[in-house]
Amino acid sequence: MEPPLLQLNHILKSFGAVRALKGVSFSLRPGEVHALLGENGAGKSTLIKVIAGAHSPDGGEIVIGGERLSHLTPRLARHHGIACIYQQPALFPDLTVAENIALGVQQPKFHQRMRWGRQTLQARELLKRVGAKIDPNAEVRSLSMPEQQLVEIAKALGAGARILIMDEPTASLTRQEVELLLAVVRDLRTQGVGIIYISHRLEEIFAVADRVTVLRDGESVGTEPVAGMDEATLIQRMVGRQVSAIYPPSESEPGPVVLALRGVTCRASGVRDIDLDVRAGEVVGLSGLVGAGRTELARILFGITPADAGEIQLFGKAVRIQSPQAAVEHGIAYVPEDRRKHGVILDMPIAANLTMAVWPTFFPGAWLRPEAERLHALEFIRDLGIKTPGPQALGGALSGGNQQKVALGRWLAIRPRLLILDEPTQGVDVGAKAEIHRIIRRLAKEGLAVLMISSDLPEVLGMSDRIAVMREGALAGVLPGGASAHEVMRVALGQTQREAA
Amino acid sequence: MSKPSFFSRTRGWWRSHEAVLLVVLLAELVFFSSAGRRFGTADNFFDIARHSTEIGLLALVMTPIILTGGIDLSVGSLLGLCAVVFGKLWRDGGCSPGIAGVLTLGLGTLAGLLNGGLITGLRLPPLIVTLGTYSLFRGLAEALTHGADTFTDFPASFLFLGQETWTGLPAQAWVLMVAAVGFWLLVHRTTFGRAFCAIGWASEGARYAGIPVRARVTLAYGLAGFVSGLAAIIYTARLGQAKADAGTGYELFAITAVVLGGTSIFGGAGSIHGTLLGVAAIGVLSNGLVHIHQPREVAGMLTGFLLLLALAVSVLPQWLSSLAIRRRAAQGSQSSPPSTP
Repeated sequence: MEPPLLQLNHILKSFGAVRALKGVSFSLRPGEVHALLGENGAGKSTLIKVIAGAHSPDGGEIVIGGERLSHLTPRLARHHGIACIYQQPALFPDLTVAENIALGVQQPKFHQRMRWGRQTLQARELLKRVGAKIDPNAEVRSLSMPEQQLVEIAKALGAGARILIMDEPTASLTRQEVELLLAVVRDLRTQGVGIIYISHRLEEIFAVADRVTVLRDGESVGTEPVAGMDEATLIQRMVGRQVSAIYPPSESEPGPVVLALRGVTCRASGVRDIDLDVRAGEVVGLSGLVGAGRTELARILFGITPADAGEIQLFGKAVRIQSPQAAVEHGIAYVPEDRRKHGVILDMPIAANLTMAVWPTFFPGAWLRPEAERLHALEFIRDLGIKTPGPQALGGALSGGNQQKVALGRWLAIRPRLLILDEPTQGVDVGAKAEIHRIIRRLAKEGLAVLMISSDLPEVLGMSDRIAVMREGALAGVLPGGASAHEVMRVALGQTQREAA
Repeated sequence: MSKPSFFSRTRGWWRSHEAVLLVVLLAELVFFSSAGRRFGTADNFFDIARHSTEIGLLALVMTPIILTGGIDLSVGSLLGLCAVVFGKLWRDGGCSPGIAGVLTLGLGTLAGLLNGGLITGLRLPPLIVTLGTYSLFRGLAEALTHGADTFTDFPASFLFLGQETWTGLPAQAWVLMVAAVGFWLLVHRTTFGRAFCAIGWASEGARYAGIPVRARVTLAYGLAGFVSGLAAIIYTARLGQAKADAGTGYELFAITAVVLGGTSIFGGAGSIHGTLLGVAAIGVLSNGLVHIHQPREVAGMLTGFLLLLALAVSVLPQWLSSLAIRRRAAQGSQSSPPSTP
């Protein structure tokens, strides 16, 4: 057997009192896709930062190409052919593809001149290697998210990467784009590149990985070939307990129509002529490709970008929603997609985050009531199962899933009549995901109308009573809850009239 | 779960920035009392209070603005404009000082709302907007007085506000105290204060939480205008004259006091009591240097030094504790048995 490209032995790393890695060992062979799995907070990010040289381990050793090292620096990591591809491409949007790639390859000394022609040729070569049809002279800002990711990979290869770390590369990609990316990953594998692949989507891991290492609470639970594993085993290893991978069944009877949209349009955000009803006790899944206008529709309903034509009716009465404050007064709650930027304020305590939407009623006369707020927070922490040291812990101290519960709790406090969820479980670990699904079900049973945007097709299929599919800013169709993934994708891709070839 | 952990407890008070500043202030007081013979007298403390009131008021109102992540460079210029308008209303307009004062406060408020409106309505950066009004307000003040006119000979009943004592303290010190209590309650005990912080931490996040971000930001700048007008009236009463150059450079003293007091220039974190300590530290320093016969320039130098020192000292405990943890972790990993033979 070939010697491993990379070998980590008993890596230790602590942050303050928190022991993030408790002696993790890991190895990567040439031409292998090695999946790294674990709940949020299990130590995945810390481990890859140790490999990329961003964190210096407190103990253990790193062996690369036979060389033993106590730690790496970003420079050293690059020198050893380690490259990282993150969820959000980190390219310079104003530079061209070729310029971005050249930055990774070799920076000329200040007295050397730029060779633009060679740069372009080189970029074309590398892009071909990842199978991308991208013009090297295009500005990066004009590229789509998956295209930018391919450029990142090309850049990494150009820099001589033999160890590629991919941290949730598919989180914001659509199904088709994921397939393309996985094809590139398989291709790189045949070229002898070692790939560390991190994803919450288990089906991708089964599709592409050779071996899988599961991390739990900073320790490796084990490394095994993927071929001998099944989904249930993996999930159980990750959470250390049995979690039902199936979605909780719908238990509610749809009640009266809460939200009715009639020809709702917002030219600025490209949403047009939306006709849709959402009933009390009903979960309506909003599906579609990224960029189909789903988040834009949510932003219209929440008054962030108000509608400029059509009618929004709540309980049969036409309303105008010109600001988030107006939406809140009408009982509309919106849990946004980007929870770290919009969902919770990371630097403020959980308690303050949880009361943020109910100030006018909770703090009469604007006077804060710290004790009442504490009790309110404790109630939600218990009710939603938020794992936190206490109500005064900062939002940023929580894991993704728990932050999402705080974002949800903030809006449940207004006792909404319509709850809009935008990617409620994106980047959330398996355990918290199941909990959030159960909470959504419970809320629907209590008579809440739920509009759930999700790019996770199994989630849409598993949770929705009806599925509304958007395409290019318009509603392409509404399917019953029992629809198949195939049907949803067909509507999303616009193949309703004519059969797909 | 209910057991308080390290993270849920607030930081020990002795580690806070305010405590560091309190020590600095006490050190100043001890040093100057021993070095300057007349420093420790009640009269001298009254003097410090009188000289600190206007900057104190501006620093108080600057705190919420900086908490939102903004800045107001125009308060000093607005003070000048308000002082001139107050003088003109009284001397040329025939208003009593009381009426002139009310009108001046109204003008200040409008000017502050202009700042706030430009910032929130046109989504311009506060630094640029108030840099513009910084020149605009001062220019207006100079135009009104043709650069030379000075308003003097105010009635004694008005000068009382700036020069006499009332129930044992300088009259303007009472104004500062009322303002301090008011702003402390606003910032630390109401949802308004929390909104300022939320906007400073994450302005978009605050908007998504349904907080009326524009209204709160406009309020902060409007308050700054009102308080600038108030400071102009007190300034005029203290010096007995109003000129177009009144309050020149005060905006920077106010910002220095706020930052010295521990408020983050990026917004989100800060306190009114910190700001008050910052004002006191600066006021005592510049007064004390006069008592030990140092030239005025030294005050500016030392204020800058104080600012950098306070910032450095306040991050020191964090730095030391992270160092200690690293060292402990390093020892821990060495003492553990080697993994491979």
